[in-house]
Parts: sequence; structure tokens; C-alpha cells
Amino acid sequence: MTTIAQELGAPLPRLARTPFGPLATLARRRFHLTVRTPRELFVPLLTPLLFALVIAPALRDALHTTSAYEAYVATGTIGLLIPLNTMFAGLSVLVDRETGAQRELLAAPVRRPLLVLGNMIVAFGVTALQIAVLIGAARARGIHFAVDGAGIAWFLAAGALFTIGMYGAAEALAARVPRAEEYISRVPAIAIVPWFLAGSLFPITALPEALTWVARFLPLTHALALVRYGLLDDPSGLHNIWRMDSTGAMAALSLAVVAAFAALLTAAGIRLFSRTAVS
Amino acid sequence: MDTAIEVDRLSKTYPGGVRAVREISFDVPRGEVFGLLGPNGAGKSTTVGMLTTTVAPTSGTAVLAGYDVVRSPLAARAVSSVVFQEPVVDRVLTGRRNLDIHARLWQVPAAEAAARIEALAPTLGLADLLGRPVAALSGGERRRLEIARALVSQPRVLFLDEPTVGLDPRVRAELLGVIAGLRDRMETTILLTTHYLDEAERLCDRLAIMHEGAIVALDTPAALRAGLGERIVELRLREEPGAALARLRDRGLAGPDAFAVGTSLTIPLHLGDDPSAIAQTEWPGLAPASMTTREPTLDDVYLHLTGGQLRDAA
Repeated sequence: MTTIAQELGAPLPRLARTPFGPLATLARRRFHLTVRTPRELFVPLLTPLLFALVIAPALRDALHTTSAYEAYVATGTIGLLIPLNTMFAGLSVLVDRETGAQRELLAAPVRRPLLVLGNMIVAFGVTALQIAVLIGAARARGIHFAVDGAGIAWFLAAGALFTIGMYGAAEALAARVPRAEEYISRVPAIAIVPWFLAGSLFPITALPEALTWVARFLPLTHALALVRYGLLDDPSGLHNIWRMDSTGAMAALSLAVVAAFAALLTAAGIRLFSRTAVS
Repeated sequence: MDTAIEVDRLSKTYPGGVRAVREISFDVPRGEVFGLLGPNGAGKSTTVGMLTTTVAPTSGTAVLAGYDVVRSPLAARAVSSVVFQEPVVDRVLTGRRNLDIHARLWQVPAAEAAARIEALAPTLGLADLLGRPVAALSGGERRRLEIARALVSQPRVLFLDEPTVGLDPRVRAELLGVIAGLRDRMETTILLTTHYLDEAERLCDRLAIMHEGAIVALDTPAALRAGLGERIVELRLREEPGAALARLRDRGLAGPDAFAVGTSLTIPLHLGDDPSAIAQTEWPGLAPASMTTREPTLDDVYLHLTGGQLRDAA
């Protein structure tokens, strides 16, 4: 039998010195798969666009709210777009496992966490594109945003970290359930229910007291409060969560919550994928 | 290094206590085509899973081209490729894109990969197919594409896990020709799993027959056949053959290597047995529907060792 010395003496097979080459290949593969399945690009965008461009103006007219409410709902729909899109992206992991090339990727000389990260890069890019389309459409519809450099930074940081966290949740769910049907049946609870509680259409303080407390623990509540702080210069969402005087401190705390959510769910997604990849 | 695959007391017990593989050991020299033959559930795919690092061994060691699959899984994967039992391809992508992704993941430089793909395509009958989405290819074409993909990285060890299962006879024959051609042209070590005996006999230099997770025989096809003697007598009975076999053994007309499958009794003849005398034997209490004498086949070896489960599984 081969000894360790023999193994060390064997000529090294070609292996990547850095993970970037394989990661780029995996992301490129996912991109090519995604662009050939347009539903992954457009379906998650439909509902948020409907909310931002049709339902929000209708609510403003029916409830006689100010035009600021349109902007409130338009930013709130970002909180629907990100979970829907990342959950759709997670579905493609199941497709890969059931009828795609996942086993080939598992037999490839790349570290298995890169398989998750390669998918995440494309989900992240597609989500960013969709948010840009949503904001562009909202502006074209006459919805006003109040942005400056710092605001954009808060918005981008919150949106990016929340997207990463939600994609981690999608990977974790895809690793846990055996079939696409079971995955889809769980999506509403993960992607839609929190959206109603997280201050998307109305402030969380309008909820019953107990649900307000639940909302304060939802990462989406923190992400939306940061998005509105960044895009509308509206810190009321942060105040409703933290009840502090310093807006900067509240924003930093909420960002820390979203960052922790991203780190935790990404780690969980990678861990569950890697564990289920080997029996 | 002359040994491409070294397996030593490799075992796998799944959660729940299912012992899928039980302390199997074998070595495969470089360039050999080695077959793992066995019915469904014999442990072949679990063995390939352990060698390709998608199944964690419970105990024992496995080494591919010098790399331990547990201690150096990335290196072990870098020197090997797999053609899976089920189609494992990106269907919406073109054949060429599938090959290209494999080449990149196995760190083949782009120009070299393009040259290899151009060389492999005509060999495997894919020259006009690579630009089409895989979903538009037939089952046989997909299989050839998967073999081409596995070869793009020029693996030192190639795993073919039941590569012809589910294919119609014409495509299967065509694919066997392709694999036989590769075997003659390449120095790659091939580990082939199958439950088709003709496939094993045609392609493999040596065979390990697996049964209930263990290797029950390992040798060249010719040596395995020779183990059953020079000729065999096959009796087709109208009655339950188990009791008949016991009676024949009691009378010394059948040895311990005789076996019953369905309504047939197979009795190997060894040196010293006289086939013509056997043919004229009055079989005590039996009224065979037919009796034939012939040379043993791998089928007989297999059925003798595994109790006839292959026919049941196939």
C-alpha cells in the first residue's frame, strides 16, 4: 500500500493556487444557466414592481396619504424582491442536484464551499440588477428618492448583506429538503410572511405590541430601516427598532444585525451543502 | 508509480447500520481496465462514491495515483474523472460548454482544453453535436458527451459507473465499442462498474465480483471461468430444483459448486469427470425438460457466487 512518503513524492496534480479561478468558472457556469432560464430573472421582479408602481399609488389615492408613502412602499418592496429572488436562485440548486451537473461539480478538484459561493455571486448580481430596475422604474413613475453619498453607502451595505444572508438561507433550505416541491412549499413562510411584519407597507409600531417586538428581531426589519434611511433619508424605521437618539449609532447597530445574519446564514448554507454533498 | 488504485479494507456503513461495503481490498495497476461486477445493492456505486470522495469511508483506505482520498481529497479528485450512472450534465448548456466547464475546473489551460476537445469530438462521434444544447441530444449522444467530458482533463483514473445502464441495445453496443476503443488507445486506468456480464468480459482485464458489500472473487475473466471447470451441464427441470440438487449431491453427481437458479440446475464438470458419461447419466428421480453441456461463461461464475441475484436485478 502507498505510504505517506510515496504520496508526498508523487507529482502534484494541477490544483488552483487561489480559489478565484474555480470560483470564476463556477459563477460563469451559473450565469450561463441563469440567462437560459429567464424566469429566474423576471418572475421575482413582477410582484415588487406591481407593488411599487400600481398598488402603492392606488393606496396613496385611496387612503389619501402623501406622495412620500409611494416612496415608502417602493423601498419596502425591495424587502420582497430580495427574498423572492434569492429563493428562486436556491431552487436552481435543487435542479442541479436532481437533473443537473451537481455530482460532476462534487467530483471536481475544487473546495465545496466554492460551489455555494459561485452560485451566490450570480444570485447577488441578478438581485442587484433587479433592484436597479425597480428603483429605475419607480423613479420613472415619479417616485422621489432623497439620496446622498452616505445614504447610498448605507443602502448598498444593507441590501448586499441582506441578499447574502437570504441566499445562505436558500442554500441551507435547498440542502435540507429532498425535492423541489417541498422547497417551494416553504418559500412563502421564509420570503413573504416576514415582509408583512418588517415594516414594508407600514411602520412596525402600527402592529400589535407583541408583533412589533417580533419585527424588531427580523433581519428584514433592520435591512428595510437602513434602506429607507439611505434612500429616503428617513430614520423613523431605525427609531422604531432601537428608540435611541443617535441615528448613526442605530444605523450601525442595524447594519451589524444584518451582517451577523449574512455571516450566520452563509456559514449555515455552506455547512449544510458540504455535509449533504458527502454521505 | 505502477499502481493507480489501491484499496485496503475499505468499508462503509450508512447511518441506520446498513453495511454497504465490507472490508474490500484490491489494487489496480496503471493502464488496467478493472471491473466491479455485482447486482444492484452489491456496493459498487458506494465503492465508486468513496473513491470519488462523495461517500465518506467508515474505515480502511483508498489511494488514487498516490493520493489518499480522505487525506488529500482535492488531489485525488484532480487525478480522476467520473462518468456517472445517471446523466449528470447541464442540459440547457451546449455540449461544448459542458466540456469547457470541466476543463476549467480541472485547471486545463484554455488552449490545451480546446485542442483536446477538438481531438476527442470525432473520436466519440460528437463533432457535429457540440454546439447543440445537451437537452437536444439523444441518450447515447449524452453518454458519449459525458465520456468526452471525463477525458478532457486526461485523468489518471477514470470511473465508469454503469455507463451503459438504461441505453437501448444498439446504443449500448455502440458505446461499448467506444469504451473498448479508448481502452486500446489510452493509458488511463479505468474502473468500470456494471451488472452486464458481456460488458465486463469484453472490456475488463480483471474483475472483482461483489456480493452484499464484499468481494467474493477477483481474477481475470478467463481465470474466473476456469474456476468452474472445463464444461458444465445445465438441466432444466419441471420441479423445484433445490431438492433435486440436494439429491444429486447426496449421490455424488453434483459437487459443492453446483447451483440452482430458477428452474435450472447448473453442474460444473471438473478434470476427471467424463462429459459423455454425464450426458448419459440417468438422473435419479428427475425428468429434465432439457439438458445441455457447454463451456462455462462468466454468467455461470457470477450466478454461482451471488446466488442468481443478477438475473433478478437485471
